[in-house]
Amino acid sequence: MSFLHRHSWLTPYLLLAPGIAFLVLFFVVPLYYLGYTSLQEGTVQVGYTFNWAWDNYTSAFSTYREQFFRSLQYAGIATILALLISYPLTYWIAFRGGRWKNLLLLFIIAPFFVTYLIRTLAWQNILADDGFVVGVLQALGIVADDGRLLATSTAVIAGITYNFLPFMALPLYVALEQIDPRLIEAAKDLYSSSTKAFLRVTLPLSMPGVIAGTLLTFIPAAGDFINAELLGTPNQAMIGNVIQSKFLEITDYGQAAAMSVILMAVILLLIAVYTRILGTERMAG
Amino acid sequence: MTTAAEPLPRRHRGSAATRLWAFVRHHTLTFFGVLALAYLMLPIVVVIVFSFNDPAGRYNYTWEGFTTEHWTNPFGPPFLGDAVKTSIEVALIATLVATVLGTLVAMALVRYHFRGRGATNFLIFVPLTAPEIVLGASLLTLFLNLGTALGFWTIVLAHIMFCISFVVVTVRARLVGFDRHVEEAAADLGANEWVTFLRITLPLIAPGILAGALLAFSLSIDDFVITSFNSGTTTTFPLFVWSAAQRGVPAEVNVIGTMIFGVAIVLMLANVLWQYRRTPKGAV
Amino acid sequence: MNYPFERIHGPMTRKQLLRRAAVGGATLSLPGLLAACGGGGGIEGEQAATGAGETTVVQELADEITVSNWPFYIDQNDDATSFPTLDQFTQETGVKVNYLEDINSNEEFFGEIQAPLSRGQGIDRDIIVPTAWLAARLLDLGYLQKLDKSAIPNIENLEDTLASPPWDPNRDYSLPWQSYITGVGYDPKKVGGEITSVEQLLDPALKGKVTMLDSMEDTAALFMLEMGGDVANPDQTMFNEICEKLKKAVDDGQIRQFTGNDYTGLLAGGDAWASLAWSGDIVILQADNPNLEFRIPDAGGISSVDTMVIPTGGDVFTASTFMNFFYDPAIAAQVAAYVNYITPVKGTKEAIAEIDPALAENPLIFPPPDVLENLHEFSAEAIENPEFQEQWQAVIGV
Repeated sequence: MSFLHRHSWLTPYLLLAPGIAFLVLFFVVPLYYLGYTSLQEGTVQVGYTFNWAWDNYTSAFSTYREQFFRSLQYAGIATILALLISYPLTYWIAFRGGRWKNLLLLFIIAPFFVTYLIRTLAWQNILADDGFVVGVLQALGIVADDGRLLATSTAVIAGITYNFLPFMALPLYVALEQIDPRLIEAAKDLYSSSTKAFLRVTLPLSMPGVIAGTLLTFIPAAGDFINAELLGTPNQAMIGNVIQSKFLEITDYGQAAAMSVILMAVILLLIAVYTRILGTERMAG
Repeated sequence: MTTAAEPLPRRHRGSAATRLWAFVRHHTLTFFGVLALAYLMLPIVVVIVFSFNDPAGRYNYTWEGFTTEHWTNPFGPPFLGDAVKTSIEVALIATLVATVLGTLVAMALVRYHFRGRGATNFLIFVPLTAPEIVLGASLLTLFLNLGTALGFWTIVLAHIMFCISFVVVTVRARLVGFDRHVEEAAADLGANEWVTFLRITLPLIAPGILAGALLAFSLSIDDFVITSFNSGTTTTFPLFVWSAAQRGVPAEVNVIGTMIFGVAIVLMLANVLWQYRRTPKGAV
Repeated sequence: MNYPFERIHGPMTRKQLLRRAAVGGATLSLPGLLAACGGGGGIEGEQAATGAGETTVVQELADEITVSNWPFYIDQNDDATSFPTLDQFTQETGVKVNYLEDINSNEEFFGEIQAPLSRGQGIDRDIIVPTAWLAARLLDLGYLQKLDKSAIPNIENLEDTLASPPWDPNRDYSLPWQSYITGVGYDPKKVGGEITSVEQLLDPALKGKVTMLDSMEDTAALFMLEMGGDVANPDQTMFNEICEKLKKAVDDGQIRQFTGNDYTGLLAGGDAWASLAWSGDIVILQADNPNLEFRIPDAGGISSVDTMVIPTGGDVFTASTFMNFFYDPAIAAQVAAYVNYITPVKGTKEAIAEIDPALAENPLIFPPPDVLENLHEFSAEAIENPEFQEQWQAVIGV
């Protein structure tokens, strides 16, 4: 103990050491290996050699450009939908929830506790061609009589929206909850309509929540492949499906790693922009 | 609430139509909120309901009849029990290690100023948002290049990795609101650092640590993507579900899913209740 | 949770910038270091075949055996929780069987097992049942162990036609499990008639309700037969034509999905009305959907053999004993009566007549000569040909 007293500047580093070491070993180092592998080429029969195979990147991008952009597209639409659904929902809970706030919040978090795959399989069931939902939509004319919901991009986007909704809702809720209701009261008094009060006061105050939720939803959604696999067809394949297939089935490690690096690079770029605007200190908590 | 002078005159008043419209507008939000919650709960309800289904063949898609046999014998399908056992073992080890490491990091971040703080924050933050597929794939390339055998321990290592960040964030939130004066008081009374930590600090931040541990545990039990890249031939519960999806998911999977869900909800409620009891009204 | 509200305070000072750059530069040298540690070779491919089959076999039964097989390939009760013949095996030998139905498609399975096998490590399996072309590839790569024929006296029951495949002429490393037929599985009520040709699957009336197999040796081969081609020597031009046609069908939304064994769920649930399917599966699916039927297209069907092999790390003696058990005609008959695939065991016809005489005449299990003539096998070389592979990958989407 007295050693620590004399060298108390060491304490934080000692506390950090095991955790950070672990993260460096199993998060940072693998990323380097990802890059290293992305420059290898070969097959399982002949082995893989590192030979600065930059063409992994060019061929990955040209062959799978469609899937890559589709991922961004699906993730984008899902994020917007999640925002449109979450914002009123969290607003309702934060300002009208009263005593029931925490209970209602539980409903948002609850889906998290059912295994991701099982939730998505349940959607397979719900959206089945002979199912209730499709039947109603057909009766209403929204879905054609020979149409379907499953195995379409609608189903995939719907699945992504559902599965990542809590990532959007929770940061939004936290932001909204911290707004002093008196501000809104005052705004309503000052502006002639509550719509204006919302636009001029509530929305800007909740912006950090919107931004956080958007990033927390978009980024993992862009890399998802489960929804496309279970609810879609190869026409809806996202870059995640390609990476998964190349790594685990076709074992073309070089190209698969290259695609992962491209995906990660785009995301790091987004995070860098985000931290510039908002600051690292607040981000991690 | 501010004490009201007289309320400002309301603009719309009078005709039944406008009052009805105001009523609808006022309650639209509630209506929408309830609808949204129903949407969130729909698949869960389907899962629970179909755990009681008695399917004719292998496929649990249409409702055939009610039965409780899946609940009385949830580990009937071959290998399901082993998969669940493996999942729990992995989750326990990963939670333990991640909670310890994560709590230490959180304490360092909250209580000390040091160089490299920004970088540490960044390092904690990125795994939280990076797509799982990149995390899983990069770990796979690590193990492939080092020639490590994929299996139980590679899964555990992977799980610890992504759980640490979650624990840090959760514990940190709790630590930030912690009043250091209590510790100072203990020191004034003659307690040394160890005693203070064990008898004062730890009990007070325990709910936060527990919340972090709970989060880590549920993330680990549920993880599919990262595990699928690093598991070799070992099977965890989510991996079992994935391969079962290709040939008929037995209703027992619904049962296990419901059980995990139930346990998690109960634990979470318990933690919230415990927190309520321990903090005096008004404090964080 | 705390919440980000404030902007970062001021731009970085020059000092901070320099410090961060230095740290960044230092960390960049790290991969160089690690690369040196890991050797310049990158990921190891196959190790030189260490003659894994040469070790002397210990003639002792293990406590348990782990088998990876395709779904619907062994007799079982309705919800796949118990397997009569496996229970019988356990009773007779005392060996517990861990039976996994985790092969969904050959490519997927290979992807899962190749990494450890390429390093000479086992995969926790004593027997796996890949299709013949994959078994040939595994043998070629040195991943298989020799059978202990002294433990397989019943090997004499192997059908003569299957006794000597070109890739394993003495059956030293493999024994057939079942032969299968690829044709069309469909619901005549939903389709509104009979299906006699795979071309009918491209009929717009079935748009979105059709699935095809993701294996070129099934799907492309069937279409090739339809066009009069020779699947034993596939013509690259014809293959390309077929790929174009199928790609267009996918883009039009005609083909719902390319599947492995998982077409069964879609047929059972009604999400698919017609699929390229494997013969016996359809019979088993009739429990879920009694209307389903299987049909070999008039132009010809595809057939191959799913083969039992022992991968590196498997227990040779116990695995061989297991194989021997299933080459007993009485046991083979029990399996065939349920799975309705073509059995490789001589004498099964007589044995099955005792269980159910009608089954002895079942053309799916005992195809008569005119049916057999109409069954073909796709060339294994074509499957391994990178150009065919690339074309096909583009069709199935990923």
